[in-house]
Amino acid sequence: MSSIGVASERAAFAGSVRNPRLEPALERAGIDPRRIRLGAFPMNAVQETKLDWDPYNPDYFRDPHSVFARLREEAPLYHNERYGFYAVSRYADVERCMGDWETFSSARGDILEMIQANFPVPRGSFIHHDPPLHTAYRKVLTRVFTPKRMAALEPQIRQFCARSLDPLVESGEFDFIANLGAEMPMRVIGMLLGIPEEDQVAIRERVDANLRTEQGKPMDYSKTTKMGEGFEGYIDWRVSHPSDDLMTALLAVEFEDETGAARRLTRDEILVIVNIIAGAGNETTNRLIGWTGKLLAEHPDQRRQIHQDRSLIPQAIEEILRYEPPGPAVARYVTRDVEFHGSTVPAGSALVALVAAANRDERKFPNGGQFDIHRKRLPHLTFGYGFHNCLGNALARVEGRIALDEILNRFPEWDVDLDRGYLSSTSTVRGWETLPAYTPKAREGRRNRGPVAETSMATGPTSPPAPEPAPAGAERWHVTLQTPMGPQEMTLHLVRDGDTVTGRIDSPMGSEALKNGKIAGNTLTWIMEVKKPMSVKLSFEVQVQGERMTGHAKLGVFGKARLEGQRLAG
Amino acid sequence: MPKITYIEFNGRKHIVDAAPGLSVMECAKQNGVPGIDADCGGGCSCGTCHVYVDPPWQARVGGRNAIEDATIEFASGVEANSRLSCQIKLTDDLDGLVVRLPESQR
Ligand code: HEM
Repeated sequence: MSSIGVASERAAFAGSVRNPRLEPALERAGIDPRRIRLGAFPMNAVQETKLDWDPYNPDYFRDPHSVFARLREEAPLYHNERYGFYAVSRYADVERCMGDWETFSSARGDILEMIQANFPVPRGSFIHHDPPLHTAYRKVLTRVFTPKRMAALEPQIRQFCARSLDPLVESGEFDFIANLGAEMPMRVIGMLLGIPEEDQVAIRERVDANLRTEQGKPMDYSKTTKMGEGFEGYIDWRVSHPSDDLMTALLAVEFEDETGAARRLTRDEILVIVNIIAGAGNETTNRLIGWTGKLLAEHPDQRRQIHQDRSLIPQAIEEILRYEPPGPAVARYVTRDVEFHGSTVPAGSALVALVAAANRDERKFPNGGQFDIHRKRLPHLTFGYGFHNCLGNALARVEGRIALDEILNRFPEWDVDLDRGYLSSTSTVRGWETLPAYTPKAREGRRNRGPVAETSMATGPTSPPAPEPAPAGAERWHVTLQTPMGPQEMTLHLVRDGDTVTGRIDSPMGSEALKNGKIAGNTLTWIMEVKKPMSVKLSFEVQVQGERMTGHAKLGVFGKARLEGQRLAG
Repeated sequence: MPKITYIEFNGRKHIVDAAPGLSVMECAKQNGVPGIDADCGGGCSCGTCHVYVDPPWQARVGGRNAIEDATIEFASGVEANSRLSCQIKLTDDLDGLVVRLPESQR
């Protein structure tokens, strides 16, 4: 799945009332505008009659499939006027979008918000290039990601699983995400890229420390899947310390670029490529592991069969991938007028290809709505199709299969606690961020102990974390960030203490703590890691002048966003 | 019914009757020919059903399509006569077809 990107803030904002003129009034009235979600009003609620698929309405996150079924039957070419996109949901149509890059281009991104924002794609971000540029990069990488090479990673992947799961056998209580999904894929990518294990741990520990400082808030496990920072250092280090990893291969490879010239990759290209791979290969596989836990808990009979006959694992993983694809949709830019079902999609449109809908299309999969590991094997579209089909599909398959095997080795049976689980749906992935599970024995233990004091991971089923009171003594600032997605407004709480600054930023996406905050004269710097709708690190640098601040935030590889802020009273 | 011969990398031959309409990949799966994994189930997207078409058959079988060309990069040891077997539909015309399996799919 695609990968990096500034969070499509618009996506997250779209679900809330965004009216800058109204907000001060609401605040004065003691109403937090973030708490008012359009979902509370009938116009946006899931309606039975009028077919309206709002990708940003959280009411659909748990079950998008019923509206997808209606789209397939009633509106195979769906036009959402409010957000200005088209969507196709039938298998044949989704396949067609992915197979014809000349009509359905990736060059403006493969995520709806990215296409709509039309900001420049960095070179080497090959998931967002069309042939021949795409082909040049892709060829370099495909050789590294062959099924054979990926299968050879099996012993290490098993070891990673064992390391994550062994300590949990005794208690019989575990979390599919925190304990496995957030760990194993990260380690595998780290190993592929050649990031020394000690450093992976250092990254891990820093992330864990962040989690500890946020005690009392829901734990944000997804942060542990991010390794974006620090790659620059590894690239330079690898130049002088070649090894047999992907980074070394990328440094050494001679390839023919789209102009036909033979050359090496530049440092910037390598950085972009490495970020794409880390971004595309972590969260998706993490979600696959979560869906494995959920679906097999719901189908204990099929789980029992797999436990007894492990040769069923590959087809079980395929069925999980079909049934709940970690990346439910991709998007394309339409380069010329094109017809679907008698209607024209005009050139210049953004078109969403609903993989999750196509995967249950009865025209392709009889009884598509049923989870059945024994169904006739037909190709699902979870890894895409055609030129951009998932580079990591062999790796993801190996990881998924081994994870299931190793889980069954230790936990033949488990229940999942969906009420304590947390499901999110972003522009790129949909799945569990927290999925607590326990064995029948552990459940007995819990009963005997009485109600367990819930850990901080407990959140409502799909409710976002409740905002906390502002930190004591905090300055409040109203900040506008000019992102490629349009202006985003947020409230900044700052606590200055000597040469450090702490605090947090509240936006309708939720609250994020400032990290690494430093003060030098009038200049404040900090970083902030957002996870929705995609994991991205923002580095802020602002100058404070009395009641005003100006500066910028660096948005991963997507350049800088200008920032302006006004201090709020009180 | 066309007869297809699959030759494993180790030289072992499998001669099977193919129902027209199936792909060379599906026919191998149905008849338990080892070495054709077809992870993606025939979607031309994983590169694990790579075969070498025996040269005398190349012209009749035809070359790779554009998507196949992109996907076959996943396979190792790609040659001019390499095809993804999920993309070869069997017809009576292909009666007697011989394909060899690559070393990477042992
Ligand atoms: C279950 C796990 C995964 C899922 C569901 C998934 C899904 C996808 C999909 C749907 C695409 C096509 C996007 C498009 O057409 O716009 C894609 C592309 C890609 N995936 Fe994955 N992926 C997974 C795991 C991985 C892993 C483990 C890696 C790398 C180690 C990876 C790397 C990539 C890359 C680099 C691309 C871009 C390929 C290109 O544009 O040529 N993915 N993935």
